[in-house]
Amino acid sequence: MNGENMENLNELFGRFLDPEQAEKAVEDVASAEQVLREHQAPEPSAELIADIKATITTTLARRRTNIYKTAAYQVAAVAAVIVILAFVGNRLLMHQQDKFMPPTMLSQQIWESDDIAEDDPDLAYFVSEVDQIKDELWSIKWGENGVNGDDSLADLEIELLEINSDFWKG
Amino acid sequence: MPESDDLARIIAGCKNGNSESFSKVVDRYASRFCGYFYRLTGNRDLSDDLLSELFVKLVEKIGSYKGGSFESWLFRIASNIFHDHLRAKQKRQRIIEQQRQDFESEQAEPIRSEDERIDKLQMQLATLDEDTRELIMLRFYSQLSFKEIAKIRAEPIGTTLSKLHRGVKKLRELME
Repeated sequence: MNGENMENLNELFGRFLDPEQAEKAVEDVASAEQVLREHQAPEPSAELIADIKATITTTLARRRTNIYKTAAYQVAAVAAVIVILAFVGNRLLMHQQDKFMPPTMLSQQIWESDDIAEDDPDLAYFVSEVDQIKDELWSIKWGENGVNGDDSLADLEIELLEINSDFWKG
Repeated sequence: MPESDDLARIIAGCKNGNSESFSKVVDRYASRFCGYFYRLTGNRDLSDDLLSELFVKLVEKIGSYKGGSFESWLFRIASNIFHDHLRAKQKRQRIIEQQRQDFESEQAEPIRSEDERIDKLQMQLATLDEDTRELIMLRFYSQLSFKEIAKIRAEPIGTTLSKLHRGVKKLRELME
């Protein structure tokens, strides 16, 4: 025991015992430590030290293997999760595409319209054209415009073909 | 190089899994811990086993060492190993007692190796209760302050001082 510890002991025992008892206690401790010093415990054998060092090397190697294994399992688990998520995501996307028309194909106004023929300008134009032709057909049928019915019908047929062609051209 | 710097370097090596660093720790502390375990158990084979266990635990737990007194930390592990050993021994004794109900009950006796000479000190130490014996050995072999010892034992410093004083007084009387 060094001098610093002796000072600590005097001070420590002094907190709990009166000065005389504290001094006696410090003597008892010092005496017991002297006995222990005089009766040295056996030293570890060289074989034991070598055995301990070998055990440490083995334990370290095993720990390293376990760390690599754990890391490999974690990487495999993460990879599996990514693959599953990608697969499920892909399936969901395909399902969505099958179920819904892409909103870019039709404007929202037309998509939500109750009367597409009126709300779509292109369709409205064709509807007005069809109505006009219908009126002319009725006029021809009833001889209201006083022209030759055959020529007028041929003109109308040409006009219808043109409209049809324009429609499909967009 | 100062001893504390050297120890810090060794501990850093241990944390990196360097077996050479662990070997240096063994060289540095094996003797003290061997004495500690031997005086607690009085059995050479058993103290050798406990010493080996201590250094295996060191490898396993070095990551949890966060600074402070390395010796204090190591002695805490050693103390836990000894208490685990005591608990296992008591469990074994209970089983044996159950199996030998017709035989006289076992007495607490010092563990002895047949091929070794038990010195007088060891015989007297065996008459102390295990807790007091451990406290005296902890103080002598660890050379830690009473504050640190009380912390390891999770008890007030006054309790530690009182127990130690009773123990060393008795030991002194026995040895005279």
